[in-house]
Amino acid sequence: MTRHVVVEPRGLASVKLRILVPVLSVLAALVVGGLFLAITGENPLDVYRKMADVAFGSANGVSNTLISATPLILTGVAAALAFKMLVWNIGGEGQLIMGAVFASGIAIWLGPAAPSWIAIPAVIVAGGVGGAVWASVAAIPRVYLKTNEIITTLMLNFIALSFMNFLVFGSSSPWRDSAVSTFPTGQPIPTNARLPTFFQRLDISIFIAFGLAIAAWWLVGKTRWGFAVQVVGDSPETAKYAGISVPNKILVVFLLSGAAAGFAGALYVAGPIGALEPRSLDLGLGFTGIIVAALAGLHLLAVIPIAILMGALNNSGPALQSIGVPTSTITMLQGAILIFAVGGEFFIRHRIRLPRKESTPQEIPDGVEVA
Amino acid sequence: MTTDAPTDAETDLAVELRNVDKAFYGVKANDNVNFRLARGEVHALLGENGAGKSTLCSILAGLYRPDAGEMFLNGAPTVFKSPKDALASGVGMIYQHFRLVPNLTVAENFALGHPSTGIRLDQKKLQEEAAELGDRYGLPIDPSARIWQLSVGEQQRVEILKLLYRNVDVLILDEPTAVLTPQESKQLFKTMRQMADEGRSVIFVSHKLREVKEVSDSVTVLRHGRNVGGVATADAEAEDLARMMVGRDLVLPARTDTTQPGSVVLAVTDLRVEGDRGLEVVSGVSFEVRAGEIVGIAGVSGNGQRELALGLNGLRTPTAGRVFITNFDVTKASVLAHIYAGMSYVPQNRLGVGLAPGLTTEENLALKAFRQPPYSRGRRLVPSAFRSEGARQIEQYDVRGVRPGLPIRLLSGGNLQKALIAREIEMGPKVLILHSPTRGLDVGATQTVRQLALAERARGVGVLLISEDLDELLALSDRLLVMYEGEIVGQMNTEDATAERLGLLMAGKRQGEQT
Repeated sequence: MTRHVVVEPRGLASVKLRILVPVLSVLAALVVGGLFLAITGENPLDVYRKMADVAFGSANGVSNTLISATPLILTGVAAALAFKMLVWNIGGEGQLIMGAVFASGIAIWLGPAAPSWIAIPAVIVAGGVGGAVWASVAAIPRVYLKTNEIITTLMLNFIALSFMNFLVFGSSSPWRDSAVSTFPTGQPIPTNARLPTFFQRLDISIFIAFGLAIAAWWLVGKTRWGFAVQVVGDSPETAKYAGISVPNKILVVFLLSGAAAGFAGALYVAGPIGALEPRSLDLGLGFTGIIVAALAGLHLLAVIPIAILMGALNNSGPALQSIGVPTSTITMLQGAILIFAVGGEFFIRHRIRLPRKESTPQEIPDGVEVA
Repeated sequence: MTTDAPTDAETDLAVELRNVDKAFYGVKANDNVNFRLARGEVHALLGENGAGKSTLCSILAGLYRPDAGEMFLNGAPTVFKSPKDALASGVGMIYQHFRLVPNLTVAENFALGHPSTGIRLDQKKLQEEAAELGDRYGLPIDPSARIWQLSVGEQQRVEILKLLYRNVDVLILDEPTAVLTPQESKQLFKTMRQMADEGRSVIFVSHKLREVKEVSDSVTVLRHGRNVGGVATADAEAEDLARMMVGRDLVLPARTDTTQPGSVVLAVTDLRVEGDRGLEVVSGVSFEVRAGEIVGIAGVSGNGQRELALGLNGLRTPTAGRVFITNFDVTKASVLAHIYAGMSYVPQNRLGVGLAPGLTTEENLALKAFRQPPYSRGRRLVPSAFRSEGARQIEQYDVRGVRPGLPIRLLSGGNLQKALIAREIEMGPKVLILHSPTRGLDVGATQTVRQLALAERARGVGVLLISEDLDELLALSDRLLVMYEGEIVGQMNTEDATAERLGLLMAGKRQGEQT
């Protein structure tokens, strides 16, 4: 009898394994990133220590990390919500931008006279509406004409970006700051519509993002509507058979996904940026949200810690330049984490063993699946 | 009783397995199994579901590797690394779930993975070869049709011809007759004999004794993963084989009483429904089902039964005709309206239509009732109700192998079907449509399913049983309808029905044309 490696599907992965694998994936990515740093002549430990220090070492660092994490929580929720339903909305980027356009637009339109208790909710709602409207451009053809949403949402990202650039750089729209005549910038949002800060530069948008992530989790996991959505996400044929309106569910989830990305845009312009500022919004936050969702295993609450980790990486990037390490190291690390996490999925789904002649097959490990 | 199939000489063995073990998750699917296949014979592999037949076949076909034991191919020790490896050595298998690419044509599926397939496909030559092969073996097919357009029976022909196109020496057919009419089965048996006469060896997996007696030269019987006997077919009586197979005498529930049916619960008039290709495949069907009766619909698969069921459930809107559930006209109504009107439906495709494979058993049991108490209050779900109702139904309907949090797809076929039927019965239907409810189930699960169908009949539910299993139709139905090319070509009371008479109607001979 020859010895051979047996790879077989695992019946059910334990909770322990489901947490251990992503943690090990991050560590493995750090090791690979460290090798790369060592080759370029840096001491990886020094670099990582510096990064940790920048991200979490001071009150200011923690505040900046959470500011970076806030939009990622929401774009992560946007991606996770859609992907759970097998809706491949990769237009978080464009929906975030349109959310920012709508939010800053309403703030400017309301003007400095409107009371904050009207202006702030209006800004947030407008952001959600903007994201949903932009998502609907792809969602309606997807549901009724079966167009491919991967292509439409991707293309709409570029249109949204160009539209924002046009508003600020290419026209004398209300979004452009008319007081600045040198290089065009966004019209500052009146202070009455800005989100109040409470800790360093950190404003209340972090709580709104937490709240929205929890609300999305509750909606999908705890409501009648969410149950129907889960059935559609698992098997559209079965959902149809059980009398669930599949097009309706897909449409609503698609729009909610767009709204989540739109909220991210609204909170970003009404929070840390304070204006529709293309250079501060064109950071790939929508795409990073897809990475966040993938790392979180599409779990709507797991999105929160993952977004904070990604936020920490983003936040520590610029600081690396001060010690002579290129910022792109961060992009590389994020990519490595994603690759290892996706690879780690294999170990969640499969078991590898080396049977001898007298094989002693293992029992299915006990435990429950994370919903 | 010997454990070896009788053969003339060792050299005549096409395949031999010695002391083969294979376990999954600690359960021994094959336990010290010996199996000898002679060249040029049809060898039946008999056993209940879960007896280890499929595992044994999968080992032969290179899909699984045994944990222990040896395999000899034409007398030489062999280890198959993969199904591709097995195919290259001339061993091919037709699985119960076909391995065809739905969007490709028949001919393209032939070419797929074939060693001689190069970069360019000569479609015309390929189609000619496919058609020619089909004619030679009495299995006519349209080589330019796409797989998804074919019925299950036709797809099976493609699978058989695909292996013959590869010129394999050993063909393994896993329960091939489950989807065929008696006439189609007869044709298949002819093809099997023809292949054996050409010197090929055929392994025929079945749990139908009649067929085993009819077609095979020798039999190996498996029970609980062990072989309990290998005999020449001519030497064994059907009763002996049955006892070897189940370890006890075989009794399946059948309708015994004759009750008086009540009012009409399902009325269908001149129903017309389109198929996947947009052609009319249900052409003016009319019938009634009364409370407390089982009406059987016999017919070869692909004669419009699936579309009829879709049309009756609102899953496909009929192009003409009317459907009434009790007094409600549901012809153009939504699926949900059908459900609320009292329609329950057990579809042929259990996993993927009837059940959501990735959700838990509890969630699947609530798949239709989740909109109402106790599963939900207002817009909120009540998780405790999912647990308690789930536990009750799992207990009551004897669904085994359920673990908390486990997706339902990990249950066995029989338990999947019990869960599915449990949910449909718990909806408290007026009409229950069962489509091939025992296909692929073992004797125990078949027994449970039939008892449930009879209990629903006794409770006053109108049951429509769409099946290709004539024994089942004859055992359960009060009345029988035969469907052929989208029409009802005959109907009769079960007392007047015989397998032969039904078989002729299923083959397209109308009632009037019979002598």
